Amino acid sequence: MATKKRKSVAASLATATCSLLGNAATEPVQAQEEPGWDFNTALLYYDEGDGRVQDISFNVLANRTFVDDRSLSLTFVFDSLTGATPVGAVPFSGPQTLTRASGGSTYNVPANEIPLDDTFLDTRYALAVNWQQPLGRLYSLNAGLSSSFEYDYTHIGANVELSRDFNQRNTTVSLGLAIANDDMDPEGGAPIPFAPMLDVGDLSNKAGDESKDVVDVKIGVTQVINRNFLVQLNYSFSDSSGYLNDPYKILSLVDAVTGDPIPRTPAPGAEGPLHEYAFEHRPDSRTKHSLYGQGKYYMSGKVLDLSYRFMTDDWGIDSHTLDLHFRWPVGESSYFEPHLRFYTQSHADFYRVSLVDGVPLPTYASADYRLGEFDALTVGLKYGWKLASGNEMSARIEFYNQEGDAPRNQLIGNQLTREMYPDMDAIIAQFSYRFGK
Amino acid sequence: MRGLAKTLFLSQLLIFALAGCNSMGVEPWERDVLAKEEMQLTVDPVEAGLDDHIYFSKEASSGGRGFGGGGCGCN
Repeated sequence: MATKKRKSVAASLATATCSLLGNAATEPVQAQEEPGWDFNTALLYYDEGDGRVQDISFNVLANRTFVDDRSLSLTFVFDSLTGATPVGAVPFSGPQTLTRASGGSTYNVPANEIPLDDTFLDTRYALAVNWQQPLGRLYSLNAGLSSSFEYDYTHIGANVELSRDFNQRNTTVSLGLAIANDDMDPEGGAPIPFAPMLDVGDLSNKAGDESKDVVDVKIGVTQVINRNFLVQLNYSFSDSSGYLNDPYKILSLVDAVTGDPIPRTPAPGAEGPLHEYAFEHRPDSRTKHSLYGQGKYYMSGKVLDLSYRFMTDDWGIDSHTLDLHFRWPVGESSYFEPHLRFYTQSHADFYRVSLVDGVPLPTYASADYRLGEFDALTVGLKYGWKLASGNEMSARIEFYNQEGDAPRNQLIGNQLTREMYPDMDAIIAQFSYRFGK
Repeated sequence: MRGLAKTLFLSQLLIFALAGCNSMGVEPWERDVLAKEEMQLTVDPVEAGLDDHIYFSKEASSGGRGFGGGGCGCN
């Protein structure tokens, strides 16, 4: 009798201790019972329409949990990209002929159309591995390596993050560091900044391969407010240095009065551009700061997920992002999740619609639409359901729209009457399947 | 220098915030809702990664939730 009683006291004590220690003490017990692999797979279709960029992406994230809360995750991504993308040249009332980025041939652009290079074709593989484990009772460490490979682009990176719990695990503070090195080796070589577009076969405007280094630092706090409410606040700092140009982006050289491209004659017998264009020139460093806040609120089964990010950088770009997900359960095992996202950014200081003939070159210039001033809106809906086996599926469809304006004070002559900014409407469709083994 | 001042200011802010956090939160046995999968900060890491990649490729901002993303010569 006495032995039995002692046992039950011990059991009660163990239970109480586990309760006091919270998640960290209970999770390893679960992990010991069922260590195994968990697979998150997704197939994504992204299409900007009008012959612009299309991406089919296949993703696998495999997680394995070990005893003592240690876990390993492996990520594999395969992207197949095709389509046309705006090169930065201005549209005008006549047709245009441009040399392709490779320098190997030319392409034509009809009158009044924003020039797009239609030879964009790439395959991208990305691999990442991450390891997470507790360090002592209150600390946790996450470390990983990432890499991606494209025909003309290679990325390798490493990241580490240390976090510590406070206040009965109601507060978690984390500090993270990530470093990356990216190499670019565009066909024909990386263009020399501001070098002119030349005739087919003339690669004297190109240099060899180029590279950039990126360092990211992140400080975060996660706080439990009450039983149904959780918030996170992150500050991130990012520093990039090296070759930050997009090797495929150019600017038109235009007439100071009409704003139309300056005509050019290819060398005798040569094929080449019929107007003057120059490759873009960005600064060789960029520093970004961002503040990110996220709140998750549980309302009798429904979950509101709201986040906001402010970003500012030394290129003169400020941006605001508001992101809202609302998870609405339907029955026991399925849910709908509407998604809304608002984004707005100001243009980079060196964003230029075109370069003006007879005016000294600015220090830097880029006509990349992504450095311009625009607003974007995403509207989406997801439906997810759990199968009898416990595996989960979900499907989502979203619409992403970008609308921008070229800075009015930069427009010259005929440019004032034309649509100079390439607006975009993209569709995002995704199917996900999650299963365990 | 400006970056350093900003970092210091933000660390101060963090410390004050932490001090205030003492009065918030739940007892360990009140974590039933917070433990639910849909209450995790990132519910679907694959979808979050895909979105980060799309917006990184098409906008001048990145990161915030996690690291800055990247690793592509995106057009």
